[in-house]
Amino acid sequence: MKQISSMSDLFERLNDLKIVFRYGQKLIPIIQSLIDFMKETVPLLEDINTSISDTTNKIPRAKDQINNVSSQTELATTEILDVVDSISLDVEKVDKYIHDIKSKEDEKNKSWEEIKKLIPSSSAADKLIKQYESLDVFSSTIPAIEEVFGKIRNDVYKITLSLQVQDITSQQLAAVNHLIESVRMRLSSLIVHLDETELNSVDNVKLDIPEKATFDPDAVYTKSTERQDVADELINSINAKATQDEIDKLFS
Amino acid sequence: MKKVILVADDSPSIRKFVSFALTMKGFDIVPACDGMEALEKLPSEKVNLVITDLNMPNLDGFELIKAIRNNEDYRDIPIIILSSLAGSEEIQRGMDCGANSYLIKPFDPKRIAYEVSKYLN
Repeated sequence: MKQISSMSDLFERLNDLKIVFRYGQKLIPIIQSLIDFMKETVPLLEDINTSISDTTNKIPRAKDQINNVSSQTELATTEILDVVDSISLDVEKVDKYIHDIKSKEDEKNKSWEEIKKLIPSSSAADKLIKQYESLDVFSSTIPAIEEVFGKIRNDVYKITLSLQVQDITSQQLAAVNHLIESVRMRLSSLIVHLDETELNSVDNVKLDIPEKATFDPDAVYTKSTERQDVADELINSINAKATQDEIDKLFS
Repeated sequence: MKKVILVADDSPSIRKFVSFALTMKGFDIVPACDGMEALEKLPSEKVNLVITDLNMPNLDGFELIKAIRNNEDYRDIPIIILSSLAGSEEIQRGMDCGANSYLIKPFDPKRIAYEVSKYLN
């Protein structure tokens, strides 16, 4: 009896196995299509991986170039400022000379008026005096020279204002560098998932990341005083509040 | 005797701009590339006023202002913030730390001269 029962179990198991094989037969085409899909996908993934790796490896160069741009513009700006500084000093010197000349000219004119009084009046003397005075171009030239120097001073002022664009752009470039580094980190982590061997080559790349670099990503170059006006308003309200607090304290 | 102004900014061009705007008005400028260097230079120079950026390596502007205000020898020195940060939070924080004025970059050389004169003349 026991033997019959064992045989029955065996047939049952064989039947189960048959069902499994039947399912297997149905699954084989699906598995085959999966394998085909994988065969097509793997080279594509490898391409993506290589592409990411190449891009990641190029990032440090891009960052270096941005840093170079920043330092070169910084250098150029400083050089321009040196020239502007020298021009300003020259303008100040000329201004001082003109001032000295003007005060001496005033003294000279006073002396001339005294001399005129001492010259006996005659038509020949009057004619000579008139001729001499008409040759005095100084009083008409100096205001024109002063106007030109005023314009130079104003232009120098505008140059200094405009050159500050360098500071703002260098902050914006530092912000871009920061973003690039974030992208590089993300790409590196992607490579980890795709191919661990590629990671080493990427991570070994030394990046010249200015760790101590400080920047304001929202730095804006504008000649408008709007931002300063808003700041002034805020500071005034802070100061007014402080004054009110002091008054309250005084009477409490 | 010329009044001495300590300018703390990590940007060499900004230090130069400030120097350009203020030496013309008869002030002496002591440059510092960050808050730490500014603190180091304070005892050796007879500083009458400090102009500081906020974003600086090693020691930022907020910390520099706090350090100055916490030091009995320098706590009364006028401090002007010169920063590209224009948000109300930064302005409020800067003033809370103890700054006297707040100027936003890019700055008007005439305005900075005016602010300095307000405290030193």
